[in-house]
Amino acid sequence: MSDLAVLSSFLISAVGLAVPLALAALGETVSQRAGVINIGLEGSVIWGALGGALGSLAAGGYAGLLAGGLAGAAVALVFAVFAVRLNTDQIITGTAVTIGSLGFTGALYQSRFGVTGVALELETLPAWDLPLLSRVPVIGPSLFDQELTAYIVYVMVPLLAWFLFRTRWGLALRAAGESPEAAHAAGVPVVRTRMLAAVFAGLMAGLAGAHLSLVHTGTFAENMSAGKGFIAIAVVVLGRWRPAGVLAAALFFGGAEALQFTLQAIDADLPYPLFLALPYVLSLAALAGWFGRSRAPEGLALPWPRRGH
Amino acid sequence: MGSAARLQGATKRFGAVWALEGVDFELAPGEIHGLLGENGAGKTTLARVVAGLLTPEAGRVEIGGREVRLGSAAEARALGVAMVHQHFSLVPRFTGFENVVLFNAEAWTPHGGVRAGYRERIEARAAELGLPVELDVPVERMGVADRQRIEILKALMGETRVLLLDEPTAVLAPQEVEGLFAVLRRVAAAGTGIVLVAHKLDEVLAAADRVTVLRRGRWVLTREAAAVTARELADAMVGARSPGSGPRDAAGAGPRLEGAAGAGPSDDEQRRPPRHTPEPPIVAELRDVAAVSAGGAGLRGVSLAVRRGEILGIAGVGGNGQRTLAAVLAGLQAPDEGNAALPDEVGWIPQERDGEGLVNGFTIAENVALAVHVKGAYRKGVWFDWAAVEEAAAVLVGQMDVRSGAPGVAAGTLSGGNQQKMVAGREFLRSGELLVAESPTRGLDVKATVAVRERIRALAREGGRRPGIVLISADLDEILEQSDRIAVMVRGRLIPVPPEDHNPAAIGELMLAVRG
Repeated sequence: MSDLAVLSSFLISAVGLAVPLALAALGETVSQRAGVINIGLEGSVIWGALGGALGSLAAGGYAGLLAGGLAGAAVALVFAVFAVRLNTDQIITGTAVTIGSLGFTGALYQSRFGVTGVALELETLPAWDLPLLSRVPVIGPSLFDQELTAYIVYVMVPLLAWFLFRTRWGLALRAAGESPEAAHAAGVPVVRTRMLAAVFAGLMAGLAGAHLSLVHTGTFAENMSAGKGFIAIAVVVLGRWRPAGVLAAALFFGGAEALQFTLQAIDADLPYPLFLALPYVLSLAALAGWFGRSRAPEGLALPWPRRGH
Repeated sequence: MGSAARLQGATKRFGAVWALEGVDFELAPGEIHGLLGENGAGKTTLARVVAGLLTPEAGRVEIGGREVRLGSAAEARALGVAMVHQHFSLVPRFTGFENVVLFNAEAWTPHGGVRAGYRERIEARAAELGLPVELDVPVERMGVADRQRIEILKALMGETRVLLLDEPTAVLAPQEVEGLFAVLRRVAAAGTGIVLVAHKLDEVLAAADRVTVLRRGRWVLTREAAAVTARELADAMVGARSPGSGPRDAAGAGPRLEGAAGAGPSDDEQRRPPRHTPEPPIVAELRDVAAVSAGGAGLRGVSLAVRRGEILGIAGVGGNGQRTLAAVLAGLQAPDEGNAALPDEVGWIPQERDGEGLVNGFTIAENVALAVHVKGAYRKGVWFDWAAVEEAAAVLVGQMDVRSGAPGVAAGTLSGGNQQKMVAGREFLRSGELLVAESPTRGLDVKATVAVRERIRALAREGGRRPGIVLISADLDEILEQSDRIAVMVRGRLIPVPPEDHNPAAIGELMLAVRG
């Protein structure tokens, strides 16, 4: 392979791996901005993957994508009812939702398709080749010859940035995450805002899961989310709770993952698993403030109404 | 003329405590109505019920003659009710502008953007009310008085029929209090009814047209401010325990309600003449200390020395570095520059009793044990002597008059003032050579204020321990009444005040001198 071809295939792989992370992390950004840390994101991803598979079998690929998104949102609704409405601890609730989801989806898959291990074959989503743009050398094919999920990311980044920082609803949502007391006093329905934000995160994570089954693999396997939901939470931190930053961080994580495949493919004599660890080191560095101050929303993961009052 | 707000038969219970019991209250348009009472009397609860922020068990709320659904903040706001909270309800990381528009629905277009020209409207309204504000600075970087102005401005952007202010003067310098009252009079003159919750009788009498007193959740009296004296109000607030037979501290000092009520301090007979014995040893010393602070001002080149048995008063407008000074003295923050020589154990009455002063989920006994167990008391071999702890807690509850307190009660269920009394009482028990008291009487009623002040004086003057005491307070009366020496904090610097300048005017000037 020529160097350019290697680079091009690396980029294609990097963007492909970044898309599910970006989808889930953009949703989580909104949720965390509202003060809800949804550790159950991983649960929404795996339900999204299974929902995508079942939807696709029933009515085709795009129906599968929709079903995946809804399945992820439904899981997040369960999480939100407990963690927001009933004010249970967000971390514990999210962990329970994730573990429960991995178990339920595995059981459902086995009861529906047996334990024989015959891989499910799913119709994958077609790539949309954007005229002209996809002809741009090197980066064209990786960015503009992608499936619908990638284009959802491209649209969501500016849309969410506008929503969060330019509209009253974004201001109210951020207020609910920074200081729920002040938001409440200003007439913001804090509980409803947080519920909606958490469910939106689930919807996006569901789309990420559907991407795994309908774009990435064309099949479903137990535990196929493989920690994507958790990585997405690290992506939010590295992206400093801003949509554009989150996109960049997702590309960075995706690139690191793609790098190990590329390095294997060209037989480079490098300890490639190290590249998988690098993004996490950077996430910790970001949390520690090495790239300038960036603080999590002040009210993140704190119960509302405050307990004991 | 109808009423701006009317409350009938309001009843609200927190656990076993009746915060309000069948209270009636009426606010006329254009009046400033002072709301007085001891801690836990129900003042804040009443204001919050009117604002729809609390749902009473029973009662009826009318705003401008229209009945509102109980506990609906949105409905109350739509009818023009705004509240300025004691702990401001601002989003710290948002700018002044963002905080104002967050609160005001009319700031927005239907598409969710800020209406063109709204910023100019904010600036015009601020100028009209005489409220100088900075709109582009995050609130967390502002001083307390600036935050309060943002809080008031955001409340007054719309049509405001009822403005409720909860202890707005507690954090202000005397000159700033005058400024606030001038703003309130302008607002009232435009027809807004104002409820002023306060604990300083003289301030309420100076600002209010009418006064209502609550006691233990019940209505006691409502009178024209011109037709009532501070003494009558104090009597009404404490009820059967009238000032004449009132609070006496362990040293048997006389009742001091008059002083707190502004009827002239009677300090002279209280304050001892200067001692002619050799100077007592220095218990704590700072030399050229500089320290940064995340929120307000840090410290710059601060030097001070505290001697055994002396009270050093630190005056200043909130947010000028007092919090950092307290943190350094309490050993919670190391100086970035300079030296701090501190005793091993320091007593500390923090400003934020909630979270810093006590653990809400712990019982009163547990909170007592938490602070004093280090010195080796309350032990039976390797075990804790819980019986002794509970006994000490029970004594503390009695001594400090902690309402609805018992050793087994969770600290978080107490009202703010009672939490403050508990923390203060506990710190008095400690054995350190230094006591740092940050606004120890903030939010306390007259009686509790007197009790805490006398305990502080007794601690410094009497008995074997006699720690050095650093008293940090925005309440100038308190500083003047209590201190042997006085210094003023301005923008992170500590300015000593010579004895001849120990009067409100001179110190007030110093407090504000370097501002702007």
